[in-house]
This record gives sequence, C-alpha cells and structure tokens, in this order.
Amino acid sequence: MQSPSTDVLRGTLDLLILKTLALEPMHGWGIGQRIQQLSRGVLDANQGSLYPAFQRLEQKGWIDSEWRTTENNRRAKYYRLTAAGRRAVGTEAASWRRYVEAVELILQTT
Amino acid sequence: MGAIKGFAARIRALLFPRTTERALNEEIEFHLEQETEKNVRLGLSRDEARRQALIQFGGLTQTREAHHDVYAARPVEELMADTRYTLRTMRRTPALAGAAILTLALGVGANTAIFSAVNAVILQPLPFPKPDQLYMVWEENPEKGWYKQVAAPANMLDWKQQVGAFADVMAYSEAFGTSTLLADGEPVIVRPAFGTGNFFSVLGVRAALGRTFLDAETWRTGQRVAVLSHRLWRDRFGGNRDIIGRTIQLDGTPVQVVGVMPPSFAYPSENVDLWQPWAWNPNNRQQVFFRRAHWLKVVARVKPGVTEATANAQLQAVVKRLQRDYPATNRVMGAGITPLHEFLVGDTRLPLLVLLGAVGLLLLIACANVGNLMLVKASDREREAALRLALGAGRRRLVRQALTESLVMSFVGGAAGIALGWWGTRALQAMQPAGMLRVSHFDFHWVVLAYVLAITTLSGLLFGIAPALWSSRRSPQDALKEGGRGGSQSRHMRRWGERLVIGEVALALMLSVGAGLLVRSLLQLRRVDPGFDPSGVLTARVEIPGARYDTGEKANAFFARLESEVRSLPGVQGVASTSNLPLENTGYSSDFTVAGWPEGTYGTEVLHRRVTPDYFKVMRTPLLAGRAFTDADRANTQQVVIINEALARKHFKGVDPIGKRIVFDKNPDSTSTWNTIVGVVKSQYQTKLSLDPQIEVFEPLTQSPTNGLAVLVRTTGDPASLGPAVRRVVASLDPTIALASMVTMNQVRAASLARERFLTTLLLLFAGVGLALAVVGVYGVMAQMARRRVREMGIRLALGAQANDVRWLVVRNGLRLVSAGVLVGTVGALAATRTMRALLFGVATKDPVTFIGVPIVLVLTAVVATWLPASYASRADPATTLRAE
Repeated sequence: MQSPSTDVLRGTLDLLILKTLALEPMHGWGIGQRIQQLSRGVLDANQGSLYPAFQRLEQKGWIDSEWRTTENNRRAKYYRLTAAGRRAVGTEAASWRRYVEAVELILQTT
Repeated sequence: MGAIKGFAARIRALLFPRTTERALNEEIEFHLEQETEKNVRLGLSRDEARRQALIQFGGLTQTREAHHDVYAARPVEELMADTRYTLRTMRRTPALAGAAILTLALGVGANTAIFSAVNAVILQPLPFPKPDQLYMVWEENPEKGWYKQVAAPANMLDWKQQVGAFADVMAYSEAFGTSTLLADGEPVIVRPAFGTGNFFSVLGVRAALGRTFLDAETWRTGQRVAVLSHRLWRDRFGGNRDIIGRTIQLDGTPVQVVGVMPPSFAYPSENVDLWQPWAWNPNNRQQVFFRRAHWLKVVARVKPGVTEATANAQLQAVVKRLQRDYPATNRVMGAGITPLHEFLVGDTRLPLLVLLGAVGLLLLIACANVGNLMLVKASDREREAALRLALGAGRRRLVRQALTESLVMSFVGGAAGIALGWWGTRALQAMQPAGMLRVSHFDFHWVVLAYVLAITTLSGLLFGIAPALWSSRRSPQDALKEGGRGGSQSRHMRRWGERLVIGEVALALMLSVGAGLLVRSLLQLRRVDPGFDPSGVLTARVEIPGARYDTGEKANAFFARLESEVRSLPGVQGVASTSNLPLENTGYSSDFTVAGWPEGTYGTEVLHRRVTPDYFKVMRTPLLAGRAFTDADRANTQQVVIINEALARKHFKGVDPIGKRIVFDKNPDSTSTWNTIVGVVKSQYQTKLSLDPQIEVFEPLTQSPTNGLAVLVRTTGDPASLGPAVRRVVASLDPTIALASMVTMNQVRAASLARERFLTTLLLLFAGVGLALAVVGVYGVMAQMARRRVREMGIRLALGAQANDVRWLVVRNGLRLVSAGVLVGTVGALAATRTMRALLFGVATKDPVTFIGVPIVLVLTAVVATWLPASYASRADPATTLRAE
C-alpha cells in the first residue's frame, strides 16, 4: 500500500479493538478511525479485517453488539465491552507487554 | 453469559444465513458511507471518495468469506451440499442407486426382524415389577437324570417357609391340558393354569377388574374361583364388567369369576385362558405323595438386595435338611435357582443367536456388494476427483464427500430396510411355532431403532471406506494421464475388487454351510421312523366333565360308546383312544421293579400311557411279542400291561418279558398292584423325533380309567374330512362336551418338527438371499474387470489367441478368487458351525456332505457368474478396440 502506515500484526488487532472499546461503545468504522488516530496514523488496520475480528470477539463473549441510531440518524451496529471483555483487556495487554519486553531484550543484546 | 450469546450467534448464523448476511452487508455499507463522507470532507469528488473507501476497506468478498469462516457453519454447509449432491447423483443413476438401496434394504430388513425378536425375547426384562428379584426354583435328581425339573408341593412349601432370602415363593402348573367352559352358549375348550394363592402377588401384578387370588386360596376354601384372561373375557363374555362374581361351569364344576387380568399379562404363556388356585386339601400337607410327586414350577421373589449366591446358599441348607428329614422321598433330591428370565428364554436363545449371526453375515455380503457398486462409481468418476485435487481441493474434503455419499446411501437403504423389517417382524410372529418365542407380539422398540441406526451407520462406513480411500489416494497426474481413455485398471482398484470377491464368497459359504447343516439335520429327522404310521389318522382330544362322569365305569362306558359310534361311520377302518399322543406329550413316569429281581433293585422313569384295545392296530405299531389288549381285559380281571421295545431291551436282556410281573413302586409292599406283562410293542417316539424313545408301559383303559383321552380314527380317505362327522357323534352323545380342534397324526408329526423347520426355513432363506447377493457381487466385479481388460483381450485376439483362450483367461481369474474365498469361508464355517451343535440331529458339525457339497454348488454358481463377463471379453473385436486407441 502507498501509505507509510504499518499493517497491524496478526493477533494484536483483537487487543486494539478491546482497548478502543474500553473507552466507550462504538461502531465498526469508528473503531477503525480511533485505532488510526490513537496510534497517530502509524497503525492502519485493514478496515475489512475488522469485521471478522468483531465476530471472533463476540463469539468469545468479550464484546457485545446492538443496532443503534447515530447522531446523523443512521442505523449502525455498535459494539461494547462485556464484563469478560473488560477482564480480558487486562490479561491480553499484560501478555502483549511481556512479549514486547522480550523482543526488546533480544534487540538490545544483539 | 457472553459465551452463551456467542454460541447463540453461531446457531443463528447457521439457521438464518440470509439474515446474518444482510446484517453484515448493512454494517459494511455503513462503514463505506462513513469513509466516503470522510473522504468528501477531505476534498475528494464523491465518486473518488467512494473508490478510495473501497480500496481502504480491502476486498469485500474476502471480508465476507472471512466473516463466514468465523462461524462454524462451513462443515455443516458442506455436509448439506454433499448430501444434496449425492441425492442428485442417485436420481441421475437410478439403476445403480436402486440396486444399492435394495441390497441394503434386504440386509438391514433381515437384521431388523431378527433383532426385534432377540430384543423382545432376550434383551427386554420380564414385564413384572423388579423382575430381577424373580428366580425359578427347580429340583434335580441325578439318579433319575432329572435336571432343572418340576418340584414337589411339600418341598416348595418348605422352601417358602425356611429360606430366609426368599420374600415369597409361589408355584404354578400349566400341564393340565384343557377344560370345558360352559357359560352361556356353546361349550368351549379353554386352557387353564393352576397356581398357589400368591401366584399373582409374587409376580407383582394386579387384576384389571376385580381381584386376583387370595393367599388362603392355595388351600380348599369351599368356593372355587377363577381369574380370566383379558382375551377370554373379551371374546367369550363380550367384555362385560358384570362378569365379576358370576358363576361359570368348568368341567361341570361351578366356579366363581373373581377377576380379569390386563391384556398385557400372559404368564406362564399366551395360551392361558384362565387361572385357578389349586384349593388343595389341607390334609395333603402330611401325605407322602405331596413330597413324592414332582409337578410344580416354582418361582421365588428374593428380598431386596439379596444376591443369587446368597439365596442359593440358603436354599442348599434347606435342601440338606430335607434330605436328612425325609430320606424316603428326598435322599437324592437337589434343588437350585436360575433367574426367571434366563430360565424362560432357555433353548430359544441359541436358535435366535444363530439367526442373528446369519443376518449379520447377510448384511456384510450386502455391504460388500454396495461397496463394489460405490467403487465402480468412484472409478468412473476418477477424472473428476483428479481434476478437483489438481484444482486444490483438500484430500480430506474428498474423503469426506465420499463418506457422505456412502452414509446417505446407507441411510436411504436403512430406511427402506426398516420398512422391510417391519413386514419381516410381522411375518416372523406369524410363522413362529406356537410358543417358541415366548412373546408373540413384539413391536418396534427404541432399542431396535438404535440397533438399526448403528448397523446402518456402520454399513455406510464399511462400504464407504474403499471408495473413500480410493478417491483420496489417487495422484492427479496418474488419473489425468490414464483417464483420457477408459484405460487399463489400476492395480489398486483391482485389488479391492479381488478382496470383495474373496470376502463375499467366504461369507456366502459360511451362511450356506450353516443352512446346509440344518437342512441335512431336518432330513435326518424326517427319516426317523416314529414307531407308528401317521398317515390316514385323525385325532381329537375329548375331555368329559368329572362332575358327571365321576366313576371309572361311567367314563369307560362313554368312551366305549364313542368308539363304537365312530367305528360305524363310513370310511372308518379303526378307532382307538390314548391318554397321550406320541410326539405330543407324555403322561407321568414312575419307578418300577420286577418280580424276581434281587431285593432292592429297581428301575426309574418309566412312562405310563393308557390305551384302548385297538390302539396298536390303529397306529400300525408292530406287536413284537405276546398279545395286544382285548375287550376281555376288564377292571376285575388280571392287571396287565404291554411294554415297549426300549424297556424290553434295557431291562429284560436275554429274558422273555412275557408273563413277568411288574410293579410301579421301588419298594413294593402288600398294597402294591402287580401287573403281568402280556406283550411287547415297537417303541413309539414320545416327545420329539430327536430324542430316542424312553422306556414305557401301556395300560388298558379299563383298568386305569381317565376323563381325558385323544381319540384316534384311521380312515380310508382323507382323515381331515371325517372331522365334522366325529363332532356330530360327540354332540349326540353329550352336548355339554366341547371338542378341541381336530388334527391328523401327520400334523402332529409335523408340529413336533415345527421348531426345526422354522429355523431351517429362515436360515435357508437368508443363505439363499446371501448366495444370490454374492453371485451378483462376483458377477459385478468380474464384469468390471472384464470391461477394463477389453483392450488387452482385443490385442490378444489380434495376435492370434482363440476366443476360448480369452474366455478361459477371465474364468480362471474368477475361479482363483472364488477358490480363495471358499478356503477362507471353509475355515470360518468350521469355526462358526461349532456353536450350532445343539441344534443338529444325526449330523456332525463338520458334516463332510455339507462341507463338500456347498462349496461345489458355490463354485459352480461362481463359474456361471464369471462366464458371462468372459464371453463378453472374448467377443471383443480386435479392429474396434485397437482403433479406439
């Protein structure tokens, strides 16, 4: 792709979605925008790949969805974190941090 | 909670794929609109904004697919697609599908019918509360060769009182022949069962109407009572509830009806029309005959939690005590218990299991046949499979599709099989010899359905394995390379075909050998000379009411008049009567001793039969020595008996028995009656043709009268046609006497072989179907092989081979396989038929005639099955086949 952004690593997309939803319930497009914004444009999730991820998380019981009306009076599917999802953010984030530290350690030593 | 919601979403997606898809589309459309709006705000034209949004989103289709994959719907969808595909191909090739379904239906149907019987007779518990607490208590006497025999009343009463493990003990007997019921209308013959007062309460059943017996009614209470079967109540008394308390006449005795049983109650057998308590005389308790005569079937219910071992140990202690206390009667009397269900199933188990084995083999043959059909189909489609592999289809996916096809096929076949099995179950019930299966109504039961489901699935997997492996193992290059022209058969394919032929021949051989042994056994039985000439003889059982014919003179006078009236009917050559018909049942047996024998020696188990003077003449049983009875043998003349050849051989070796005196007691005293032997007759078979005649004495009816006799009429013409005339004679003599159905002696003889014939017919039927299927299967494989070798044959013929050589080539190949199958089958049959030993008569389980004859028949049929394909191959036109290159 022509944009200088980085593809989201496989498996981290779920964590990003969960983290984003931890702030407030949001629709799919909004989540994609938010990830891009928060990462200052570095992380640019392939927008199409968001939707299978939503299904996955919904099946795990970490997020929940409902149809709502947006401020422009448009029907949109909103996702929000469940209690289990809220717990998962913590553990997922922790394991991500451990992973990053490990990679960092290796990078420093070589 | 979340997980449940997730699962619910999955199911929803599976059940309502359209809704799920629509929701996703709406969501994506919303996303694209938002993105387009954003792009427009950034200054792009609307079209460009939309285009960028789509690019940014990535592939729409991939997203949808990925979204779809997240749901577990895919395998199910594939399964449904494969099923639809299979049903479509079945419709496109109806001949092949029809053959497979019919074959499977035969296999599954036979299994359904036989298993229904196995389930009803062996697997289902008895229809009583807590049936596993019920035990049959039997007696044994090694000295007399009794084993699991009927018990004496006094012993039964002692067990009831002294064995602590028994909650209660009841006794019954159904060996009372028939009674004449006189209520309103014609007299009818009914079949009573007699029991102790607790007969029903030990079984744990209640009356549908009124009451059952009272415990006290074991003993005489003044009023005789009876409980009716539901059938008798419905057929004879119109299901009228007023029957309770009414008095009916049984053999001339007034009996009060106190209850009606529910229709489901049929113990001890379905033939029983009514039950009566014995109403024994209380004085019997102290009489020696009460402990000497053995005639009761005894059922005990053990206390809750008592094991068989405990109950038996306690019983043995009581038996020991009785042996010590009553040496005269009980010195060698043993006793034991068997779970009631096991006892009742008894000798029905082996025939049923043999039949179950036979239909199992039949199903395997059916599977082999269908497997071959599927294999042929798979090989015809190998290019399709190869193409799909080359295009990237997973091998597992192909295997799954092949298995789905087999399973769909087997389920369709199985459904047809259930229909066939339902019909077969009906046929089985109608065909069974009276009482053989203990239950005459067995309907579909969930156990049977589960069994059918299991064998259907197994069959599908079994005959699906070959085609499944076949389609997955192919390498696309090979298939596509040779696929262009119906090229030579691959080695792999041929090996499967060969295995099928060998297997089918082996299975068919095992089935046929089993059937062959039974046929030989039946033929041997039919060859047995029963000791009388059964053709041309009509018999009718006549019971006269004891209330009016209360002395021997009256009874004898009646039968004498009856005989003389019947004798004067046209077409009658001779008339006689007997207490027991040969090949039907025996009377009582006793000990005996002969004057002149050393002190204390005696014989046991001599059967007794009463006959009128012409009996041996009418039955055409040869008199070997001495004389027959005459009218001069009267109650007040010398007591005489005639003995059979078996008794003469066993106890009068080298001695002329005529004139010897015999007494039916092992310790004769002054009260004993001595009888003079006046004749010896050829032995008649008393119970079955497979059991050698027992020792027997005949007594003249005048000297031991009875109220129930079978009248025998020898005729010049068809004996059955004389029936109505005999019936009129009886009615004219005494209109209160009912006549049971009349049968010819040939029918009696046939009935004694009914079980053997039933089993042989069924096994022969299964073997015939199995053999036909195997022949079709062998033909199918050989035809397929020949078809694949047409090109080779064409080349051979072009190079100068004769048509005969080519034919022989194919037939030889077939013979090689059939021989291998015969070899395998013979080994299998040798092992399998050992279980049948108890069912065979006069034939060894390794009967050479069967073991040589059946394979010859099989090989000959197989030659025919290979001959047709062979001549097809030999007609290959060299020019055409070569041009086809």
